[in-house]
Amino acid sequence: MKKILIVDDETDICNFVQNFFQERGYEVTAALGGDDALAIIKKDRPDLVLLDIKMKGMDGIAALKHIKDIDRTIKVVMVTALEEQEKMDEACRLGACEYITKPLVLDQLEHTVEKNLR
Amino acid sequence: MPTDKPKKAPSWDKLQNLFVENSMNRAGGKDPSSDRKASGEKPETDGSLAKYDYQAFLEKASRTMIRFKKPEHLIKMIVRTIDEQLKVTHTAVLLFKAHKHSYILIDSKGSRGLKIPIGFIKLVADNPLISAFSGKQSYLISETGILRYDDVIAGLRNREILERQPDLYDKLLLIKKQMDLIKARLCIPCYFKRDLLGILVLGEKINGENFSREEMGFFVTLANDAAMAIANAMLIENLQMKIDEIKDNYVREHRIFIHTSIAMAAAIDARDPYTHGHTERVTTYCLAVAKELEGIPEVNHYKNFRETLQISALLHDIGKIGVPDHILNKHGKLTPEEFEEIKKHSIIGSTILSPIKELSDVAKEVRHHQECYDGSGYPDGLKGTNIPLISRIIAVADAFDSITTDRPYKKKKRMEDALAELKRCSGTQFDPVIVSAFLLAFEKGNITTVSPQKSFGQ
Repeated sequence: MKKILIVDDETDICNFVQNFFQERGYEVTAALGGDDALAIIKKDRPDLVLLDIKMKGMDGIAALKHIKDIDRTIKVVMVTALEEQEKMDEACRLGACEYITKPLVLDQLEHTVEKNLR
Repeated sequence: MPTDKPKKAPSWDKLQNLFVENSMNRAGGKDPSSDRKASGEKPETDGSLAKYDYQAFLEKASRTMIRFKKPEHLIKMIVRTIDEQLKVTHTAVLLFKAHKHSYILIDSKGSRGLKIPIGFIKLVADNPLISAFSGKQSYLISETGILRYDDVIAGLRNREILERQPDLYDKLLLIKKQMDLIKARLCIPCYFKRDLLGILVLGEKINGENFSREEMGFFVTLANDAAMAIANAMLIENLQMKIDEIKDNYVREHRIFIHTSIAMAAAIDARDPYTHGHTERVTTYCLAVAKELEGIPEVNHYKNFRETLQISALLHDIGKIGVPDHILNKHGKLTPEEFEEIKKHSIIGSTILSPIKELSDVAKEVRHHQECYDGSGYPDGLKGTNIPLISRIIAVADAFDSITTDRPYKKKKRMEDALAELKRCSGTQFDPVIVSAFLLAFEKGNITTVSPQKSFGQ
């Protein structure tokens, strides 16, 4: 079973996305921040991380760097409310495979994750 | 869509029943303005009443909807009420946001993992759910216009649809997929005229029961009422934005206008070092006098008295541009011929201003600011109240400033002497009402000969 980690500082989003992908047959864990996420990744490598850019504490960009330091093969999809091209460019340079802008279209979220875990 | 309105004010409980019946019979809206007050009659005991408590709540709420200024507040109230009263797994409302070209989830409630996070998702216009509603295809599935998951499934199992209406079958498949994504059991459209304003999404009932026809009818009614309130709020918001825009434009143009007048006034003053600051002081005096004249009927003859006064005062001497320097700056007494030249300045001033349509009032005031109350002034020898009010005010302010400042041909006098001079000429050179107002303003400390350094534009 493919493993997904969702990282977002909003509990509602974590819960919803976790439930959403569990129902679609994935093993899903959730982390409310960058530090939690890194601890989970070290212990239990996910295949894909859904990573929010704008978070309190360690932001998505910093978390992305650390994730890629741990394991370059983990796929990371950035989720962001920002429509800032700069952050996106930086995330791409750091090895994020894709990004989704909030508010998002659920089909697209589903499709992006499926495509990257095929 | 018509509904039977009660003839007399019925009891609150009767009313609920009536409402439920209406909702059952017709999937229509009701007039939110119709007055449905409880009259305090004894409630009829009916076993099903408790079951419909939430309807009483919503019913009451729908009557107050019209008072919600922000549609978001109304939506929150609806979502909260449904969540508290109806016991469904989750509830959400998506509203159309024109600037995002999509339907955004603006409020939601529900159990852990099912509550769709606020602001997290959107439905774009070509989403099958949206197009089913905006194309009114949802009415092919149910006469209520509501998309019910069970109806969609039933449609997909119907061989007739599969064989005879393959397009509808495909559409149903797409709709099912969309409802699965948000785990919706009911999607209720919210229309205003032909436009789909939003969608109310409900999950399944926690006790597993189906939604009753009454409940569905009620949702349609609720959606129609909400649409009305939302559309109203949107109209008001748009209107307010337009008003603000117009106001901003007006303020900006007006500021440019005043500043242009000040610049012109400064140009006049600059020609004559002796009268430096004259225009500014006269304008200040005029405005101080105007304050004392508030409420007199003549003021109401002007569309905008204060502004016309301010600009007229600023520009009263603009005609001096046409008077030769050697006359304007002459030390000593003017010859009769030279005085005739000086006298032309009020006519020149009004001639300069008259082509500007917006300044036609001002041109008239400038022309007559040298008229005397007894008819002995120039250029037209007008008398009494035939002289425009603003011209009469400028005449007093202008005289006071010329007495209290040095001129090429005379030394300045003390203020007390100037006031005595005004009193002496009250009724002959000046309008006595204006002189009184001037003295009153002086007593209040609103007339000072030290010219204020700050801009008097605004």
